[in-house]
Amino acid sequence: MASSSGNDDDLTIPRAAINKMIKETLPNVRVANDARELVVNCCTEFIHLISSEANEICNKSEKKTISPEHVINALESLGFASYITEVKDVLQECKTVALKRRKASSRLENLGIPEEELLRQQQELFAKARQQQAELAQQEWLQMQQAAQQAQMAAASATAAQQAGSSQDEDEEDDI
Amino acid sequence: MSQNSSGKDDQASGSKKPISLPISRVRLIMKSSPDVSSINQDALFLTTKATELFVQHLALSSFNNGSGKETNTLSYSDLANTAQETETFHFLTDILPKKILAQDYLNSLEQMQEEEGADY
Repeated sequence: MASSSGNDDDLTIPRAAINKMIKETLPNVRVANDARELVVNCCTEFIHLISSEANEICNKSEKKTISPEHVINALESLGFASYITEVKDVLQECKTVALKRRKASSRLENLGIPEEELLRQQQELFAKARQQQAELAQQEWLQMQQAAQQAQMAAASATAAQQAGSSQDEDEEDDI
Repeated sequence: MSQNSSGKDDQASGSKKPISLPISRVRLIMKSSPDVSSINQDALFLTTKATELFVQHLALSSFNNGSGKETNTLSYSDLANTAQETETFHFLTDILPKKILAQDYLNSLEQMQEEEGADY
């Protein structure tokens, strides 16, 4: 049901998220489709309500950014004080989760090994790779040389045999 | 012997996420409010969670107050009624007019016309 208009008022919470929450809150209860649609719209209304109230409180406090305090006061003045404790707890959890994630990513980057050591290991690996390449190239070159030598020897003995056979005629054999 | 829990989504993670609603969407909606400029990230978390609690609160209240308890259904009118009857939900009355049956509407139209003595 994507609307082509980019109207701000069409912004709502995704239906699936609401459905999931309703299901978790009222398991085994049948919910009419128009009722679901209504809940989606009520969410938007609620968010606007809280934002406007928090914004007013923010303006009065002469601060420019809406802070958690403003939101909490808004909840209180609008009659949603019962939400405050749980909402605060979640804030704490979110911060902890964010902190853990940052620690985890930095741990992964270092693996507890200092940077110089990592660099050294890298250089070692490169050096090994170069050496292997060099050895391979050398082998190939040797093989080519041997093959060339053998070919030359074969050609030389063939010529010698011919010269020995006919001392009068100088057959000039073409070089191979 | 209970093995699977009823949740379809629970697979590897046993831990519940603190917030289920999409925070970025909530921010967009907040910013579409007139005059709202900047919102602190923590304030955003709080608002998102409050919205979740609101959904649960609304659903539960409507169901408990409503007539659907015998039939185990939650209907549009349950929600509309709760909005009217509960003060904290009054702000919703603008967006959820109580639906009336078309028949009732026609009836009240007829009544109005009879009262006016209009020829029809």
